[in-house]
Amino acid sequence: MSKANKLDPIFNPKGIAVIGASRDHNSVGYGILKNIIKGCVFENEYCKPFKGRVYAVNPNADEIQGISCYPKITDIKEDVDLALIAVPTQIVPAVMKDCVKKKVKAIIVISAGFAELGEKGKKLQDEIKDIAEKAKIPLMGPNCLGIIRSSANLNASFAPAMPPQGNVAFISQSGAIADSIIDWAIENNYKFSTIVSYGNRADLDVHDFIEYLEKDEETKAIALYIEGLKDGKKFMEIAKKVGKTKPIVVLKSGRTEKGIHAISSHTGSLAGSYEIYKAAFKQSNVTVADTIEELFDITKALAHQPPAKTNSIGIITNGGGCGVLAADYCSGIGIDIVELKASTIKKLDNTGKMHPAYSRNNPLDIIGDALPETYNAAIETLLMEDYISGIIVIQTLQTMTNPEEDANVTVELSKKYPEKPIVCVHMGGRFSKRGKHILETNGIPNYDDIKKAAIAMKALVERGKQK
Amino acid sequence: MQQLDFNKTKKLLDKYNIPYPKSELAASSDKAIKIAKKIGFPIAIKVISKDIIHKSDIGGVKVNLNNEEELSDAYDSLLTSTKKKSPKSKIEGILIQKMESGVEVIIGMKRDPQFDAVLMFGLGGIFVEVLKDVSFRVAPIEKKEAEEMINEIKSRKILYGIRGQKPVKISALVDLMVKISKLSIENKKILELDLNPVIADETSAKAVDVRMMIE
Repeated sequence: MSKANKLDPIFNPKGIAVIGASRDHNSVGYGILKNIIKGCVFENEYCKPFKGRVYAVNPNADEIQGISCYPKITDIKEDVDLALIAVPTQIVPAVMKDCVKKKVKAIIVISAGFAELGEKGKKLQDEIKDIAEKAKIPLMGPNCLGIIRSSANLNASFAPAMPPQGNVAFISQSGAIADSIIDWAIENNYKFSTIVSYGNRADLDVHDFIEYLEKDEETKAIALYIEGLKDGKKFMEIAKKVGKTKPIVVLKSGRTEKGIHAISSHTGSLAGSYEIYKAAFKQSNVTVADTIEELFDITKALAHQPPAKTNSIGIITNGGGCGVLAADYCSGIGIDIVELKASTIKKLDNTGKMHPAYSRNNPLDIIGDALPETYNAAIETLLMEDYISGIIVIQTLQTMTNPEEDANVTVELSKKYPEKPIVCVHMGGRFSKRGKHILETNGIPNYDDIKKAAIAMKALVERGKQK
Repeated sequence: MQQLDFNKTKKLLDKYNIPYPKSELAASSDKAIKIAKKIGFPIAIKVISKDIIHKSDIGGVKVNLNNEEELSDAYDSLLTSTKKKSPKSKIEGILIQKMESGVEVIIGMKRDPQFDAVLMFGLGGIFVEVLKDVSFRVAPIEKKEAEEMINEIKSRKILYGIRGQKPVKISALVDLMVKISKLSIENKKILELDLNPVIADETSAKAVDVRMMIE
């Protein structure tokens, strides 16, 4: 049985014990307990209190945050399926042994001070790994942030808050990156099914989480932040398998490190580790992102839009300059901006909605005074054409522009033609906010910059080739 | 790491049906001429020693030898130069090899701690040395991935024929890469491998120089 099958108690626990729960507001043990009980420390509308049983374990307190404390986990009468450990490093092994006695079903060690500190820490890490292995209990961490899962009302982490709920799972080797994503996601409306920071991966590694997510109904696409892999071949095998149903996007750091290569062969000196990682990602159908923002920009497109069946894309814009820029970006990364057939132009003419000076070409410039009905005619005409596999819709704000109605039009057409991807660039700020919101809540990714939309469309084209 | 010796290298090439130019090892100038006559001029000669990794750096390679006289002179100067610049190297012989012409390509393999055998493809000369215009795949690869590797390099147009040159036989390169993939997977003792250059023309792709590294 693969490890992934045993991760349910981490993703969907019924009873949680926080070992090292603390009254000190500045401690990790305080934050984790509060996150479980309230959903967050930094309050916002997305935070959900945990609905299952919560136990605090601390030998020096009677109650913390309104719940009574147990001296040891073994003192708890009811079943505990998930133990979160946030105690000083040295006593983690002893606490783990108690967890084994208690027959918990999974353990998350938040505490740091293990392999990341060198040889001595590594020894301690091996010790807790052994304890977990012998007891056949899956172990996440040590030195990790924990897990956030909105659908399970679960914030078992010391992240500041919960992000909006959505269909993208984020698995991060770094806890701090996961942390900072959350505040950013709340502000920019990026939505997550799950956020996992897996830390030192003494036991559970990134591929175990990917494998678990294959069958997770909450997750439609997976974003990864990886510093290095421990078992590259295993990662490739699982990514290839899971990637068939759930697109995977990765941001890899540590790209410029020079491995120590013997200069005995050309291949040895030329094969930098990032080049090899990129090749491995490509072979496993994992899309590579360049920045944190790009990671989520691409993932949200892959999560909500279908792949482009062919590399043949249309651009619709109410601003000429933006159309040219879009064409430049697209060609630069290998997206084919297909020439419109005469028959398509005729259909556009026949709608009676086109401005006399519209571009009659791709990018299709429907001119600054385009109304929602103009967008409707243009988008539908292109979507109906077999030779066009996806479109980028650009809207700039002008006096007669109706951003919300334009968004509604796009949403409706996206529902009518669900097999073709649409990505939007409703450009602007305050006055475009509501239109963008309509798009995003309906699964149409919107980008504030044309280049980002081109990169997202490229990922959809590549996804189309994979299948 | 050290170089696998000539005979073992050759055996592996034969086992995996990896094509290389007509060639034979000579121990004397006279023998060299006999071999050259048999395989036909023009000829290239190379010093063979597992102690020598960069042959041309020490004058251990002479190319475009068109007749017996040129061959004989080159043979002597190659030996003198090699012995002077690398006195401790044990020479296994001098390889007498048919000169090939075409596009120079490099196919390589190294072991990565994460992914094990990783294959590399690129065009030879400045394309690999200066521009580092190469592509990688984790082995094993199939034909489709070999084709992707070829089409991923920026200088690929050269393979498809520019300035009136005939295109090289891409399928021969693809076959060669798949064979190297197989060899790498089945021979874990080979830690690194360079076919540099492979010379490709419109009918074939031959490994002109091969270097295999073992522990």
